Amino acid sequence: MSALAKTARSMLRGKPMPRSLITGGSILLVSLIMAVWPTLFAPYDPNEFDYNALLAAPSLAHPFGTDSFGRDVLSRVIHAYTVDMQIAVFATVGPFVFGTLVGAFVGYVGGFWEALFGRLVDATVTFPFLVLVIAIVSVLGPGLGNMYVAVGIVGWVFYARLVASEIKVQKRLDYADAGRVMGYTPWRIVFRHLLPNAITPAIVYWMTDMALAILLGSSLGYLGLGAQPPTAEWGVQIADGKNFMNTAWWISVFPGVAIVLTGLGFSLAGDGVAEILRVRR
Amino acid sequence: MKNLITAALAATLLLGTSLSASALERGGTLTYGRYADSLFLDPVLNDANVDIWILSNLYDTLLLPTDDGKGVQPGLASEYKMSADNTSVILTLRDGIKFSDGSPITPADVAWSLKRASKKDNGIWGFMIESIDDVTTEGDKTVTIKLKHPDPAILAALTVFNTGIMPQKAFEASAGATEAEKAKSFGEHPVGSGAFVLKSWDRGSSLKLVRNEYYWGKGEDGKALPYLDGIDFELIPDDATRILKLNSGELDGAELIPYSRVAELKSAANLDMQLFPSTRVQYLTMNVRPQVGGKDNPLANPKVRQAMNYAINKPAIIQIVTHGVGTQQTSYMSTATPLHTGDKPLYPYDIAKAKALMKEAGFEKGFSTSILVLAGNQDQIGISTAVQQMWSQLGIKLDLQQVDNPTLTKQYRDGTFLMRNAAWTDDIADPSEITSYFVNSKTIEALHSGWKSEEADALFEASQKEMDPKKRAEQYAKMQEIYNSTGPTVPLFETPYPVALNKRVHGFLQIPLGNNIFAKTWKDK
Amino acid sequence: MPLFSFVIRRLLQMIPTVIFILVVTFVLVRMLPGDPASAMLGDRARDADVNRINHELGLDQPLIVQFFYFAERVVTGDLGNSIGLKVSVASLIADRLPVTLMLTVMSAVIALVLSVPLAFVAAMKREKLADSVIRGTFQVGLSMPVFYVGIILLTVFAAQWKLFPVGGYGTTLPDKLYHLFLPALTLALSFAAVLMRNLRASIINVMNAEYVDFAIAKGLRSRVIMIKHILRNALISTVTLFGLQIGTLFGGAVITETVFAVPGAGRLLIDSIYGRDYPVLQGLTISLAVLVSLTFLVTDILQAWLDPRIAR
Repeated sequence: MSALAKTARSMLRGKPMPRSLITGGSILLVSLIMAVWPTLFAPYDPNEFDYNALLAAPSLAHPFGTDSFGRDVLSRVIHAYTVDMQIAVFATVGPFVFGTLVGAFVGYVGGFWEALFGRLVDATVTFPFLVLVIAIVSVLGPGLGNMYVAVGIVGWVFYARLVASEIKVQKRLDYADAGRVMGYTPWRIVFRHLLPNAITPAIVYWMTDMALAILLGSSLGYLGLGAQPPTAEWGVQIADGKNFMNTAWWISVFPGVAIVLTGLGFSLAGDGVAEILRVRR
Repeated sequence: MKNLITAALAATLLLGTSLSASALERGGTLTYGRYADSLFLDPVLNDANVDIWILSNLYDTLLLPTDDGKGVQPGLASEYKMSADNTSVILTLRDGIKFSDGSPITPADVAWSLKRASKKDNGIWGFMIESIDDVTTEGDKTVTIKLKHPDPAILAALTVFNTGIMPQKAFEASAGATEAEKAKSFGEHPVGSGAFVLKSWDRGSSLKLVRNEYYWGKGEDGKALPYLDGIDFELIPDDATRILKLNSGELDGAELIPYSRVAELKSAANLDMQLFPSTRVQYLTMNVRPQVGGKDNPLANPKVRQAMNYAINKPAIIQIVTHGVGTQQTSYMSTATPLHTGDKPLYPYDIAKAKALMKEAGFEKGFSTSILVLAGNQDQIGISTAVQQMWSQLGIKLDLQQVDNPTLTKQYRDGTFLMRNAAWTDDIADPSEITSYFVNSKTIEALHSGWKSEEADALFEASQKEMDPKKRAEQYAKMQEIYNSTGPTVPLFETPYPVALNKRVHGFLQIPLGNNIFAKTWKDK
Repeated sequence: MPLFSFVIRRLLQMIPTVIFILVVTFVLVRMLPGDPASAMLGDRARDADVNRINHELGLDQPLIVQFFYFAERVVTGDLGNSIGLKVSVASLIADRLPVTLMLTVMSAVIALVLSVPLAFVAAMKREKLADSVIRGTFQVGLSMPVFYVGIILLTVFAAQWKLFPVGGYGTTLPDKLYHLFLPALTLALSFAAVLMRNLRASIINVMNAEYVDFAIAKGLRSRVIMIKHILRNALISTVTLFGLQIGTLFGGAVITETVFAVPGAGRLLIDSIYGRDYPVLQGLTISLAVLVSLTFLVTDILQAWLDPRIAR
């Protein structure tokens, strides 16, 4: 812990921690706590039916109301943190790491590898994503795990391309030449000098991507390919509430608020991280 | 009071008489929102449900279903009778009937159309008229249908869309070498016999029909039907958008209103929310093979199936999924299907009995199984989530698997599914269609469940040739008794067709078989 | 003529991409469970009918034979006929793809118009109120599922205020654009949010860089600095993202077109997946691949223009 704080301090070089990182980090911390211990906060079992309270409006007993099965919306929103934080992280962390590494490599060496990478990117991105997801889910069966596979196959390309194009710019700047003159290994030049400068757009995009992953979960939920019932998941909850927008708005609005808040947490944190990396340079 | 008025209004529409204050008005175009586009509008060669509910507006049949969907009334034929030995049907065509291009509808056209429809491997609907052996003509009005064997359902079959009458000459003159190619080029500029004729078709967007000037039907004002100048079917797949468009007045009517919105639309001032009686039943199918995918299948045990049936609180499901619009099933076939028997709901909710049956079957601790759900289908998701919860009381762990339609169909046809959601609607005013699929093991192995009852099979075969209505009714009573007590399904509920219309629209009818009938529809200016 | 040869090189590079997509689609589509006949006929299909229709379609032949026929036809420019709709795939695509193209271009324009100026404001007023408001608003736009935003826009702007039609598609060009505005806006919201965030970060990044200081030191007027240096450099990664997101934008079009009842290629795509309409699915995937590749080409050229070092 102290080592981490030390690194952070050294990165900040005495400047104050960016406000957006504090705000975003707090939101994410709360989200994470909810995700790990949902039962501490949820007043009801998220899958418990109450036939006497179908589509009940928000009240003291059910602060966020109930859905068409009489399930407590608040409890479902809280339990969904577990699933949605998982989606946000699992669907993006692999692509981020892999994509960044590939992007750094390709951007630095260029030449044949870059051309090969270019074709791979083209093929991946030009292939309609939905066809791929439906194909993978149809073959492997529905569920979140297979959704991660589908997202991962496509997702890394975005990071790789972002990083590669930044690296290409950075490696021509004076300080990279300086590194080469100093006789540093390419590894050291890429990872110690170029990447920290080139990674900013990728990190910023990563934070957006986590929010996008939750949203994708919801689009897939609309098509029935995301989390399977009775799992509480914000996107599926919104899709479930679609027919009740006029009569029972609370079914979809509260999970929507949760998505917005969590997304805001990720974005603010992302901006904050970008800030630190900039300060460091 | 409001319900009374709605009921009275529905009744007047069903009777086809106008008691409403506004007087009949002719002309105008009706815009109607559909959830899916048609694929191919040939009465014989169409492949999908999206086509058949509107086909009867384009191609008229010799006989027509009655408005309650249970009987038969004259159509292009003004008179019909069975021969004394029940091996032929003699029909007399109406005077002066014409196709939409003004050419007369002759017995030759009729004979050609029916032969085309009954030809083996021509389309997929031929099974309903497999008894037709030959069709002969006499003079300019008489058509005789010769049967291979007595067929109690033949008159009802002559009301089904696939026996729609088409112009032989125009069809055969169409470009193309094969039947399918001709059907395709004929379909570009079709000549029909129904109340309307196709004007233009912008696939994926709209389908426009105009009135057939030569249609034989007469309206209340003594002049020719239809009242409308035309119908524009607009394709609006999203339920919420369809309803918004109706609310804004851009649509005159919209089909397949989600049950969750029926109450809301009933109270809308400018709308007339109709619930047309239907033959639709919603159920779950269970695979009853002893082994599925190399694993023992507890669903093979009839006691387990009965227990699972008893453990379902149907009124609760009806409330959750249909918001009170549905009713409990009293047999596997709908109450609107001819020869339906049963007046009590099947398997009333009884959790104690269910637990006892599970114990008897040796599954006191329950088991794990799975159910296929059509991806994104809110009704099926609702049903499956609810039964998952209800069966958990028996220790049954139900895994929901949302898959797309072809995947579902594949597992269904291969018999590799464990359970699935399904719904059924009759196409013909006879119990033989649903029974052949549900009960008879020789059609599709009783809904691909692997269920088989020698007795029911024998009864079904006999009933297909039984011309004595009383005896046939007894056979059907027995088949229903067998199936309802030991069959491979979980009957859930019957639902009406939810159609929302603008208040300015009158006289629209969707009969229990699903056919949308626009011939007597009119709208205020 | 470096740009010309660059374009030619990129065009040639498209060929292997398209071939790759062709093969992948063909295989992937046939890996999907189920077949066109049972997809079309549904629950009531009898084995005999299913087998007969699949035989008529030639689907009972070995895969390699099917592929050979397919490839042969594609080379001659024939994409075959739709299995379900029984019309030629080429005509279907010619009908539907321009609709989606128009929708995508329109939403890209809306997204740019929304994001570029606001990103500038946010970057200049970093960590101030204006920045927070802009970022917060875009975040809400980003976090709402397309189908939800669509219904809300329809309810408010079309059904209640009657400013726009409730879904559908027009007949004349202005009418079409009018019908497409709300769906394009729906699509643009999340796209704009992604662009805005990235552009804002890049602008801040560039503003911190030494060469801006250097430019200021040289005494250039501040507006010239902004436009020439900041925007040009900040746009590099944004243009990359823009190109990458075009594919995603198309994915969003599938649901948007369903909600707004727009007869575009997105809906054709999903219908053809669910209908296992192999020829339509194949034809559409290839057309899309070509289209997206062309978009990449354009973004690459743009990048080369923004930063000549890249084209080298």
